[in-house]
Amino acid sequence: MTTAVRAKGAPRTGVDWFLLVMRVGLIAFIVIGLLGFVAQQIDPTNAWATWRHGDEGAARLSWAQFQGLVVTGLSQGAMYGLIALGYSMVYGVLGFINFAHGEVFMIAAFTGFIMSTKFDQAGWWDSGAFIPAMLFTIVVATIVATIVAVVMERVAYRPLRGSPRLIPLITSIGVSFFLQNAVILLFGPGAKGYAPFPDWLDKDRINIWQIGESDTGVPEYLLSVENKKLLVIVVAAISMAGLWYFVERTKTGKAMRAVAEDKEIASLMGIDVDRTIVTTFAVGGAMAGIAGILWGILFKSVIATTGFLPGIKAFTAAVVGGVGNLGGAMAGGVSLGGAEALAPLMVLDPWGIEGPSQLRDAVVFTLLILVLLVKPTGLFGERLSSEDRA
Amino acid sequence: MSDTTDKGTPILEFRNINTHYGAVHILKDVNLAIYPGEMVSLLGGNASGKSTTLKTLLGMVTPTTGEVVLDGEVVNDKPTSYRVERGITMVPENRRLFKRLSVLENLQLGAYLRNDKAGIAEDLERIYTMFPRVKERANQKSGTLSGGEQQMVAMGRALMSRPRVLLMDEPSMGLAPMLVQTNFELIQQIHQEGIAIFMVEQNANMALSIADRGWVLQTGKVVLDDTAENLLANPELRKSYLGEA
Amino acid sequence: MSIWGAVTKTLGGAKVKKLFMILGMFLSFTLVAAACGSTIEDAADTATDAASDAADAAEEVVEDAMEDDEEDAMEDDAMEEDDAMEEDAMEDDAMAEHLGDGSLGTVVVEAGAEVQIRSLNAISGDVAFLGVPNQRGVEQAVVDYGPIKGFNVTSGQGLDDLCSADGGQAAAQQIVADEQIVGVIGTSCSGAATAAAPLISAAGMVMISGSNTSPALTSDQQGNAGPDYHVGYYRTAHNDLFQGAAMAEFVFTSLGLTTAAAIHDGDPYTEGLANAFANAFEELGGTVTTVTGVAKEDTDMVPVLTEIAAGSPEALFFPIFQPAGDFVADQAPSVPGLENTTLLAADGLLNDGFMGLAQSEGMHFSGPDTRFGTNTNESTGVSAEEFLATYEANNGEAPAAPFWGHSYDAAAMLLDAIDAASWVDGDGNLNIDRQGVRDHLNGIQGYSGLIGTINCDDFGDCGSQKITVILHNDSGDIPGSLENVVFEYAPQ
Repeated sequence: MTTAVRAKGAPRTGVDWFLLVMRVGLIAFIVIGLLGFVAQQIDPTNAWATWRHGDEGAARLSWAQFQGLVVTGLSQGAMYGLIALGYSMVYGVLGFINFAHGEVFMIAAFTGFIMSTKFDQAGWWDSGAFIPAMLFTIVVATIVATIVAVVMERVAYRPLRGSPRLIPLITSIGVSFFLQNAVILLFGPGAKGYAPFPDWLDKDRINIWQIGESDTGVPEYLLSVENKKLLVIVVAAISMAGLWYFVERTKTGKAMRAVAEDKEIASLMGIDVDRTIVTTFAVGGAMAGIAGILWGILFKSVIATTGFLPGIKAFTAAVVGGVGNLGGAMAGGVSLGGAEALAPLMVLDPWGIEGPSQLRDAVVFTLLILVLLVKPTGLFGERLSSEDRA
Repeated sequence: MSDTTDKGTPILEFRNINTHYGAVHILKDVNLAIYPGEMVSLLGGNASGKSTTLKTLLGMVTPTTGEVVLDGEVVNDKPTSYRVERGITMVPENRRLFKRLSVLENLQLGAYLRNDKAGIAEDLERIYTMFPRVKERANQKSGTLSGGEQQMVAMGRALMSRPRVLLMDEPSMGLAPMLVQTNFELIQQIHQEGIAIFMVEQNANMALSIADRGWVLQTGKVVLDDTAENLLANPELRKSYLGEA
Repeated sequence: MSIWGAVTKTLGGAKVKKLFMILGMFLSFTLVAAACGSTIEDAADTATDAASDAADAAEEVVEDAMEDDEEDAMEDDAMEEDDAMEEDAMEDDAMAEHLGDGSLGTVVVEAGAEVQIRSLNAISGDVAFLGVPNQRGVEQAVVDYGPIKGFNVTSGQGLDDLCSADGGQAAAQQIVADEQIVGVIGTSCSGAATAAAPLISAAGMVMISGSNTSPALTSDQQGNAGPDYHVGYYRTAHNDLFQGAAMAEFVFTSLGLTTAAAIHDGDPYTEGLANAFANAFEELGGTVTTVTGVAKEDTDMVPVLTEIAAGSPEALFFPIFQPAGDFVADQAPSVPGLENTTLLAADGLLNDGFMGLAQSEGMHFSGPDTRFGTNTNESTGVSAEEFLATYEANNGEAPAAPFWGHSYDAAAMLLDAIDAASWVDGDGNLNIDRQGVRDHLNGIQGYSGLIGTINCDDFGDCGSQKITVILHNDSGDIPGSLENVVFEYAPQ
């Protein structure tokens, strides 16, 4: 972007006013909503709550419920973050948004489904062999996702290298449809359920320090996390740390960043640019692959359109974090997942909006707009001079 | 100054090179030779084909006809990395550092094709001694450096590949006049370490004052090929490049 | 300088501003659309109301005209005396034997051609389990019914309503463009019907759905047309007001629970049913803690479930579809406050896909009474048992959803109506009076079909309205669960 600023003393245009009102309005809406939430937690029948919700006032969230929201937001966000990394890396290196990236994620989730059913048939899934079977499933799904991403680059994008960025962008939309329909053709349009996971993973929780009991006699804990969500968060964190190490500390990672910045000079350093681009797709694909399996663990079902919405949200996360910036992609994913889980009840509900959870997608895109309004380059994006990005 | 009578085999050679961008004929029957340890200069105005010459030497542009010869081997179809591995590198115009990478990372990337850890560490020390300022800023993002500092990093980065020939594209471009002088001193310093320098410059006076030989390129053709002294004395050249009436 | 000034200053660049403006407009549109979705619908409703008023008016005229029939006949006699044309007289005699006054035009099927009806059902996507048996029911009814006055009937290539308003509209446009089509059996989904019904109605065709259940498509059962009612729309499926009432009564009376919540997914079927349940439950004296919605594509249901858990309901009714229903059932027990809540669903999830999942065990399902047994369709003489035997023989599987019988009866009723409203003219062509088809359907009383006794009311509700609630104990034994009826409901 240019650094042009409205000249001092120049009259505000209608657009300026509109943007100002948008910014003030959005932030005020959020702040008032949050204050309303705090108020109704203290007193569900305070004046604001009865005004917005009617005489019986608002509903109060228990500590366990609030925790549940945070954990679900984090695990969802971790997945968005993992997918967002792929968008961000490819954008960094090739300067276009690979819209087919969500399908890589979906294919990994499908691979997980196939593997889980096969293992289940072989009797491994619900026996002591579950853990090796699960690890093997993760590895295979990651490899499949990596291969899909690499083949996609080879077949669809490499021949377009050097053409205007719009061309690969549109191609990626085509690739996305192709992959979706290929999966429908192979497996049918219906949802596919994973073989049931053992209870210790799917149902059990880690509970720390009982602090009381709910009205219905269910114990409440200071900290209570479902094992599967904990697993998702931990695996995502490890993968992200691994990726960070790879990009920041290894020679290939440096080469990748060099290619992202200046392909000609990178090749002058002796870096094989094509190979580095393939590596980028492969690493992004692997991250999406891990995310796909985590999706399977969380939701136990997959459908040909599974990649669409998480893909769009991950892309949003990448933009919110500052596209091309890996830390930003992770942070963007987690904040998006968190906002999506928390905002309906912490911002929209205090305003008395009916069915706030239906507006989750609106929350995501409002957050995107808010971030762009306040910091156009994204949370962690660097200001790029016009010579960097023509 | 190197001996002009016995120079051995050239490291890098152009034999009747013709280059096209689409239908546009850029280089026309160009013949060049760079010998070990010498300092040569390619002069020419805008759009005379200087940059194309460099890109063709490095393999970023493939010639339509003719041969690019490296140590006696025709390398027309060899990638840039092959040539870099064999001792050719370039300090690009406007330095073109990786601005979002640290200074140290920029230098490390210069040694991307090398695997001798000890040698790399040694060269890094050498560059730090040569440019103490660079050492101070090793962990800073290179985009935050001043123009002069960036020039040092760019040269350091090129030296990290242990080149035998260093191509320099417009080294004085975009530098303050005071820095231009320092810069040419640096180039001489590098040259004294036995590295051949092939310098593309618009600043003919400065370039010829330190070079052994020079070519003058005009619309893709070599129009003059002589020693630096002779070229400096050439009235036609003085008229067109040195701004003398 | 104010903070806001500073913030404004950090933005810059005409391009960026333009982008923001577009984003801003997009945002405001999203918010407006989200917040005022109902308002927009209301506006549309008003428009359709006006349209149906007009249609009602037209109907009145028609009735007047029918009363005048005798006078017309007398006039005809007089004309006959003037220039006696025997053929005309014959034609008039033939025409006198069919229903309808020609006010909506006639479909002329040339000798040797086929009578065209269509099946419009959700035959792809998540809801295909529902639409495919419907379509097969229609096809089987056409075969069993045989020719009408010597003319074969075809339901053509089955059309897809995609279970969405868009799909319903697109398919309806395709149908109304073909003037040979007399009527449509469909749609599968109420959401598709709201978009298809106005088009079909305006084209003078009829539409009989075997599985639409939204109250908005017919009436509130108090004599008021629903916002999406259009003349020419009929259904053999129940009205969800009955299903909602049945579920409410079951929860309140049989289970003895006094607090409940409901989830819909914004689809007219689910929203109508969730609200019908909530209203009936409150009428019975229960407390409805929350009625809220999810998005169809949602997978993480913890936020919406937490919203519900905040009200601590004893029962949670979610009459939605797969896959969203899978996630609600799976995640609800893990949300603090819902550990012991009774989960209930409706016929949208009453299928093998959902009931085969472990998380569906222990749930109650409301749905149409599908114990058809030896009920026999009076037009074809085929019984439910015979139908199922043929179905399995033809398709190698039992129907995955219960509305095949409704669709079969719907098709048989349509064919009866065509028979009643048609005559063969002197050229051997079959003439079908479109108004006559509607007249016949309007007058159906005591028709015995696979689903039981069918009576059509003034707003197209023809279903038997018998609802059952089943308890599903074993995901491995779905037929057993379907037989495990714990509650029966029939309107008085």
